[in-house]
Amino acid sequence: MWINMGPQHPMTHGLWNLRVRIDGELILDVDPEMGYLHRGIEKISEDRHYNEIITLMDRTCYVAGMAWETLFVLGAEQALHVTPPERAEWIRVLSEEIQRLGSHIMWYAAFVQDLGLMSPFLYGMRDRDLLLDLLQSYTGARMTYEYNRVGGVRNDLPSGFTDRARKVCDWLEDRFREYDALCLGSAIFHKRCDGLGVLKAADCVRLGVTGPMLRSAGVKRDLRKDRPYSAYDRVDFDVAVAEGGDVTGRYLVRMEEMRQSVRIVRQALDWLDRNPGPCLAENLPRWLGAPYAPVGREGYLLRRNYPKGLGFSAIEEPHGEALAYVVNEGVEHPYRVKLKSPIFVNLSAAKEYLVGYRVADIPPIMGSVDICVGEVDR
Amino acid sequence: MTGAASGVGPDRLLARFPQGILGIDPFPGTAGRLRFDPAIALELFREVRDTLGYTHLAMVAGIDWVQTREVLYAVWSDAGRRYLLLSAQLPADHPHIESATAVWPSANWHEREAWELVDISFDHHPDLRNLLLPTGYQFHPLLRSFKLHEPEELEVKVRDV
Amino acid sequence: MTGLTLYGVANGLIQYLLTHLYGVLPHPYFAFLVNGAVVTGLSVLVFAAILLGASMINTIMLIWFERKLLGRFMDRRGAMHVGYAGLLQNFADGLKLFRKHTYKPHDADALGFYVAPTAYLVSSLLIFAILPASTGWGAGALPLSLLLALVVFSFAPLFIFLSAWSQANKYSLIGGMRSAAQMIAYEVPILLAVVAVVIVSGSFDLTTIVTMQQNYWYWIPLLLALVVFVTGMLAEMERIPFDLPEAEAELVEGWNTEYGGMLFAFFMLSDYLRALIGSFLVVLLFFGGWTMPGWVPGPLTSFPLEGLFWFLVKTYAVFGVFVWIRASLPRVRTDQLLRIGWMRMVPLALLSIVLAVGLVLIRCLPLLGCLPSLGG
Repeated sequence: MWINMGPQHPMTHGLWNLRVRIDGELILDVDPEMGYLHRGIEKISEDRHYNEIITLMDRTCYVAGMAWETLFVLGAEQALHVTPPERAEWIRVLSEEIQRLGSHIMWYAAFVQDLGLMSPFLYGMRDRDLLLDLLQSYTGARMTYEYNRVGGVRNDLPSGFTDRARKVCDWLEDRFREYDALCLGSAIFHKRCDGLGVLKAADCVRLGVTGPMLRSAGVKRDLRKDRPYSAYDRVDFDVAVAEGGDVTGRYLVRMEEMRQSVRIVRQALDWLDRNPGPCLAENLPRWLGAPYAPVGREGYLLRRNYPKGLGFSAIEEPHGEALAYVVNEGVEHPYRVKLKSPIFVNLSAAKEYLVGYRVADIPPIMGSVDICVGEVDR
Repeated sequence: MTGAASGVGPDRLLARFPQGILGIDPFPGTAGRLRFDPAIALELFREVRDTLGYTHLAMVAGIDWVQTREVLYAVWSDAGRRYLLLSAQLPADHPHIESATAVWPSANWHEREAWELVDISFDHHPDLRNLLLPTGYQFHPLLRSFKLHEPEELEVKVRDV
Repeated sequence: MTGLTLYGVANGLIQYLLTHLYGVLPHPYFAFLVNGAVVTGLSVLVFAAILLGASMINTIMLIWFERKLLGRFMDRRGAMHVGYAGLLQNFADGLKLFRKHTYKPHDADALGFYVAPTAYLVSSLLIFAILPASTGWGAGALPLSLLLALVVFSFAPLFIFLSAWSQANKYSLIGGMRSAAQMIAYEVPILLAVVAVVIVSGSFDLTTIVTMQQNYWYWIPLLLALVVFVTGMLAEMERIPFDLPEAEAELVEGWNTEYGGMLFAFFMLSDYLRALIGSFLVVLLFFGGWTMPGWVPGPLTSFPLEGLFWFLVKTYAVFGVFVWIRASLPRVRTDQLLRIGWMRMVPLALLSIVLAVGLVLIRCLPLLGCLPSLGG
């Protein structure tokens, strides 16, 4: 019997359809159907000015907008031969880690909800709010920030921000203990999650699975460490790994990543406290440098001869390895923007980690994959 | 950039494919951008995976250059900790290339996407059907010929008073 | 024992009305009305109406209690706006559901689709007539009231499966099958745990069982039976951690996926009625029903309707524990649930029977005192 889990189904956490063939409660075959949220971001990008595309990047993944902004901006900077100032790189690290915390806490909330745990869902949402408050205090928005710029970031941190952020860090570290007590301390949690949705290291590599799913299988690959971008080569943190490649492993990896993120945030705050400076590159071409340049004959819609270039960037997004390929043909619109979403690939391996388990296991397994349909469909 | 670590240095393949490899351009932040003839695709993929150690296929991108179509592969080596870009130019009238799924199973969805969005067909792909677009959709949105809309006309028309 | 019984109140009400109707109604009608059988029948109707009203109001208050308590567990406030501290919120919700259009999926079977929720609600309500909430409350002295209550309680899988089958929805069907399997599996340990209580008290009559707990409440010697009973009741009530029939993460709403409006309200209400019944049974069987131990100061146990008061306090406390469990545990899986039921609960229940037999043989426990003799 084929059942459609989606497109409107509580398990999906977005808009997609998991077709499942079941025999009783046993899963025999799965077939994810994507595309319900395909907005053609790559196509629209061909028609937009670089700084306008950042707006689209926020919408690519609605829980990790900052990470996608950073990804695109890094690619665009390479394609446009622009170097951001060091302070901007640190602010990007800070923003991305706050975003990673927010994304992981959102994942935690949704994941425990899938397991039937009600209270931690609200605990998660409560704590994520603090992170959104932090982001709001310097970007002005809670989800769609439009904060990064080709050549830096839009504005500097407000005064008193670092102290507020440190308080939030203290609070979160306390809460992580509570999270663990509610999940790892529960026998039912282990009964449900241990040995569930197993994807071994070899399969992960073969199928291109990245991010916490890969690290939970024991492969220590983290682009922040292996191919540092922004200021990640100057921060000190450990790559979280676990063994087993099951749902519990993914849980452990994400919890550890949150702790490491707090560590990185603290380091970034310290650095930013000590080193004031500009956060947007100087002598940018006018059509890039002015975020709110007047549009018109003298504005950025005029074609001009700018050096061509190709940009390739890779970041460790909260969900895994995200890539961007930006082709600059010397005009104010990129010729082509290609985005690679980690969940896109993690989902394509769904058959490997779902078949053989039970219907009741689908929500925890798919929850542990941490799906954000926005970035799968783009 | 012939690194000492195993799996780096795409120029090692130049001897293996003197005709097939059209050139290796330096590309900052990666091991380079290797341009190859689509005829050797599958053999090259095998070599890149087995000899150079690029075990992880990260991305397959299709780019429409109007006269040609480019297909771009980004592969990652855990040992060398770097990406390598593989690029092939396909003729625009019938763009097709051997599917990479035989070498990297992770190419599956990437190639489905490139097939439907950029109209590049991948030979011997196990399951080439629509992924993001509705089944049977007639158009390929990421082709340059697929126009979203004309750029906005911003000229101010001055009325005669 | 006070002389006041619920039936007595209903009867008195009818008598009072009849005396005032004397001379108002024409004689033939009046003669018909004062016929003893008719008075009894009318009294029973009034009795049922009072019972229905009381149980409905209690159920709705139970939902409010759960929402507030759950809110506190989750670091929020719960319903706040309708009435004082949201007291009337659930009445408003209920009204909203009753005003909604009820529609039936095209392929659903009309008979099963409409009959199942009604029958489910009615069978749940029926139990309230059997359970004594305090002396004089309930349908009177039924020698097998405990058994009858459990029998009616176990009608549920039938109606749930009927509704699940008639909805023509795959999720409902899976939910219904899970529900039936789960309820049938957990009836066994529940009955076995009840047998332990019956052995100790020597009666199937709930009133007698409560009276027999005058020296000590049964949860102390029969802790094992209590654990089995509560676990089984959680499964019967389909609450977290055993709420898999309506596990919303995978089955949308389980066996009531296709229901909306009033019919959904019927299911929802029945679920809470059953939760209330479960708490009632726990209190009656293990926590001394409406009685309080002798060391409680006199003023606390001598006011009008004190039995009812304490009974409700205990019931809500037991339900509070259920809510606490709901707030802090994840959901188990069907196969695990059934394995827990058959492999853990049944042996534990059997063991509790052995303990109960031992207790009856010893008769007296240190510190607690002796069992009252069966005649008392």
